[in-house]
Amino acid sequence: MDINKARKRYIPMSETMLLILFSLSSIRHGYGIMQHVKELTKNRIELGAGTVYQSLGKLESDGLIRTVREEQRKKLYLITPLGKQILQEETQRLNEICGYLEVVK
Amino acid sequence: MKQLKTFWLTPFTHVVPADYEDWFEKLAKEGWHPVKVGQWSSIAMRFAKAEPKTYRYVADMQALPKKDYRPTWEEFGWEYVGQMASMHVWRKQYTDVRPESFTDSASRQDRNRRFIFAVSVSFVLFLAAAIGFGAALFMGWFDNVPDGRIQGILITALMLAASAGLGLVILRIRKNIDK
Repeated sequence: MDINKARKRYIPMSETMLLILFSLSSIRHGYGIMQHVKELTKNRIELGAGTVYQSLGKLESDGLIRTVREEQRKKLYLITPLGKQILQEETQRLNEICGYLEVVK
Repeated sequence: MKQLKTFWLTPFTHVVPADYEDWFEKLAKEGWHPVKVGQWSSIAMRFAKAEPKTYRYVADMQALPKKDYRPTWEEFGWEYVGQMASMHVWRKQYTDVRPESFTDSASRQDRNRRFIFAVSVSFVLFLAAAIGFGAALFMGWFDNVPDGRIQGILITALMLAASAGLGLVILRIRKNIDK
C-alpha cells in the first residue's frame, strides 16, 4: 500500500489500532501485544483475541506490519517503515490536538 | 442416561451474532451444552444436560482463517467449540466480569460486517435464481412441461421469498451493527 492510501485509511486512527501499531515497535505476538497494552494503559485497556487477530490481519495486509517469524504456531510481528511513518504522523496529529486542549487542564 | 435436546435452524432463528451468543449462554446457565458444533449444526444442533456453567460464547465469521487464528484465540484463554460453514464458535468460562473478544466498537462492527457479507452471498444467489426463473417463466420456457407454469411460478416465488428473508436478516444485523 502506498503512503497516501495508508494515510486515508489509517489517519485518524482508533485508540486500539494506534496502541497495537505502537506495541509492534518491538517484535511481539498477539498475546504479547495484549499484555504490553494492558501494562502501558495501567489495565485500562485489555484487548480481546478477536480484536487483536483482525487488527493484525488488516495491518499486515496493508503493509504497516510484517511477520518476522513463527514460534510454536504463533506469528511474531514487527512494524514496517510504512507503519512507522503512519505512527509518526498520527502521533504528530494527536500532539497537535493535545496542544489545543491544554486550556482544558 | 444423558439427557439430550435438539434445536433446529438456530443460526436462522438468532440472526444477530450477539443474540446467538446470548442464546448459547442462557442454555449453558441451565446446564445445556452443545454436544458438537459441526457443518450440519446449522440445521440441527444437539445439546446434552450437564452441570450449569457461566460461559461467554463468541461467534466469529472467518471464511479463510490463517493458521495462527486458533492459536491466537486459545492463547487468550478461549475454548474452540466448533465450526458451522465459516462461523467459528468459541467460549470461555468466567466468574465475575463477562469477557469480551471484540473489545472495541470498530472490531465488533467488522465482525458483524463479515456476517452480513456471508449472508449477502446467499442473498445474491437466491435473487439471481429468482430473476433467472422469472425470466424463463416470462419467456415461456416452462410451457412445454405439464403444470410447467405452476412449477415455474412456485420456484420463482420460493427463490424470491428466500432472498427477501435473507434481505431482512441483513437489515436486522445492520440495525445491530455495534452489538
